[in-house]
Amino acid sequence: MNRQIYLDYNATVPLLEKVKKSLIDSFDYGPLNASSVHYHGRKGKNLLENAKLNIAKLINTNSENIIFTGSATEAINLLLSNFNTIVVSSIEHLAVLSSSKSKLIVPVDKNGVVDLNYMETLLKNVSKNEKEILLSVMWVNNETGVIQPIREVVNIAKKFGCLVHCDAAQALGKIEINLNELDIDFLTLSGHKIGAPTGIGALINNNKFNLTPQILGGGQEKGMRAGTENIFGIRGFGEAALIMSEMPIINDKKVKCLRDYLINKIKKVRPETIFFGQKSNTVSNTILMALPDIPGDLALMKLDLASFSVSSGSACSSGKINKSHVVSAMGYDNLAFNSIRLSFPPNDTILESEGLITTEELDTLAECWFDL
Amino acid sequence: MRLKISINQVIEDMDLKGNPSEHRIVVAMSGGVDSSVTAALLVEAGFDVVGLTMQLYDYGQALQKKGACCAGSDINDARLVSNSLEIPHYVLNYENLFQEQVIEDFANSYLRGETPIPCVRCNQTVKFTDLFDRAKKLGASALATGHYIRRKTASGIPSLYKGIDTAKDQSYFLFATTKKQLDFLRFPLGSITKEETRFIAKKYNLKVADKPDSQDICFVPDGKYADVVRKLRPGSIDVGEIIDVEGKKLGQHNGIIDYTIGQRKGVGIGGRKGVDDKNALLYVIALDVQKNQVIVGSKDYLACRKIKITECNWIIEQPHHKEFKILAKLRNTSNPVEGKIKVNFETGISYLYFDEPQFGVSTGQAAVFYNIKDHAHILGGGWITSAPNMFDLKNTMNA
Repeated sequence: MNRQIYLDYNATVPLLEKVKKSLIDSFDYGPLNASSVHYHGRKGKNLLENAKLNIAKLINTNSENIIFTGSATEAINLLLSNFNTIVVSSIEHLAVLSSSKSKLIVPVDKNGVVDLNYMETLLKNVSKNEKEILLSVMWVNNETGVIQPIREVVNIAKKFGCLVHCDAAQALGKIEINLNELDIDFLTLSGHKIGAPTGIGALINNNKFNLTPQILGGGQEKGMRAGTENIFGIRGFGEAALIMSEMPIINDKKVKCLRDYLINKIKKVRPETIFFGQKSNTVSNTILMALPDIPGDLALMKLDLASFSVSSGSACSSGKINKSHVVSAMGYDNLAFNSIRLSFPPNDTILESEGLITTEELDTLAECWFDL
Repeated sequence: MRLKISINQVIEDMDLKGNPSEHRIVVAMSGGVDSSVTAALLVEAGFDVVGLTMQLYDYGQALQKKGACCAGSDINDARLVSNSLEIPHYVLNYENLFQEQVIEDFANSYLRGETPIPCVRCNQTVKFTDLFDRAKKLGASALATGHYIRRKTASGIPSLYKGIDTAKDQSYFLFATTKKQLDFLRFPLGSITKEETRFIAKKYNLKVADKPDSQDICFVPDGKYADVVRKLRPGSIDVGEIIDVEGKKLGQHNGIIDYTIGQRKGVGIGGRKGVDDKNALLYVIALDVQKNQVIVGSKDYLACRKIKITECNWIIEQPHHKEFKILAKLRNTSNPVEGKIKVNFETGISYLYFDEPQFGVSTGQAAVFYNIKDHAHILGGGWITSAPNMFDLKNTMNA
């Protein structure tokens, strides 16, 4: 095989061609400090506002509610730093778990879905003593691809007067997000999960809650996030959002086909493979699987050396792979060091723009899995 | 500087049939200059090189630096070098293994009054068991390290020799390498000097070309091993007495882990009045774990004539004779001494009788054996589990 096959789209989606073109285009605009009052500043501001309009359209909110940050993680940190009582699900991204340091944790079942009954009881108890509670439940889990029952989560939270944060980094571009339909107070997003450059995220303050910023300085982003705006990141995010909003509603048939093809192949060659979350409602692009006796880092290395880029557990900046807290939370602690995640493009539009992954290539991947 | 080693020599030393490109070689990359140059030479020779780095302990925790990354700069250096050599590089999370198999053993050994060598335990367990296994699973033909040691084969059977650069000799730490491991291990730096290594690193423009050599034990910052043991075993280290051979109390110690047999400096006892010069110097001659006592005395008491060595590993075919002359190294920093060894291959226990009495032999250390005729040839070694000195013998006789 002569090309390295990328199957880690949940980690990052490559810069989309159209986004790239828009960026190259804006590189020629001249200086673009969106906070400057003069002609050039206005040009920058215009790009920023347009991007907000595109993102707002994609998730059906008011563009005024959008605060750009350097990443979804930063958006989460900004939000969570405003609350003392935070209830989280056990499978939240480390951005939520680490920044909240919360001990109020809602477990998930074996299929990776939050336990709504447990959540209700917990919120009921916590709300007896606490006035202001933030509930943080992710829309789609980054490892399993399991879609959480967000509507029910919101309904329960609202019964007890809780505010709701939803980490939608993995939902964007994969499933419909309509903030007009759901009473979600805060949503966090990441640009590079839909083909924008890395280094741009957003916090959607959907009900205009009064927040205190973490980064102080100039008055950028209505004082919520000081520092000169990452205008190229913002432009890219806006363009990618525009592409996502122009997609057909059902746009995952091809991705789903590839995923199911690979799952079936793998089931044939290594029937002992455990697939996580597949009995739940999932997005179409993600496979999380494990072999009982094969450490995930070994599988990752072997697949990488055989030209497949996949991921395992959570890697720290050293490249050291830690165990998956998600797999542990699902009750498979014994497999938490063994899981391997394969993620296809988030939707057919991105799949097509990226050049199709062939079934022959997936056959080769399955052979590698067999050889582990 | 003219390099003595050629790439053909590197290929020849690798002792693998066929074209280098047909062989995947895993290089154990620590982030230091030696393993980096090892990788560079193998890449230049055309092997399919994969770099692996072991994450052995939480660097931030070990240094007690708030916010420090778990990995420290060495792993990053290994990655940067791999990037510049354009080879795949992975980090193996061996923190738990290292904790269980090396660090715990290290602490327990000190509490037993021994002086352990964790680097050998690491080679025996994590490095040449787990890393070794991983290299095999990645389809490698060999695992290469940056040790200054030579592997030579005669009629297909590999043996281990000191490196060309005797000043950098690391054979003391590799005595436990089994014959089976040696089949798979390669040491490309065995044929060059450290000076050449640095020269090659500069030639390849490696970031680590001028990086200082690592000192001491990797998980012990600034050589303060006792601090590490205290942290690992809080409450188990007590203040006790320092006594002389007659049982007279001379002072107090803060834990026997601060002492090692043969130690003179930092014993905490000043000069003694009325004692002639020769005997005025006090050495640690015994550590009584039961009574939590440090026993000090003149150098004569340290004299040791015979030691017991267990878990012996022989890197040679089992010798015909069960008693033979060897050279033995009893500490990494000391010169080898001559003696006669009595071997029991079944039990792995050997007894070594020194030609001349040795001073300051400490249990927990290794005895590493060299060929009496060819001093570079490493025969094997084992752990010193008993090293009775004059004081111990006197006590035994009294008892």
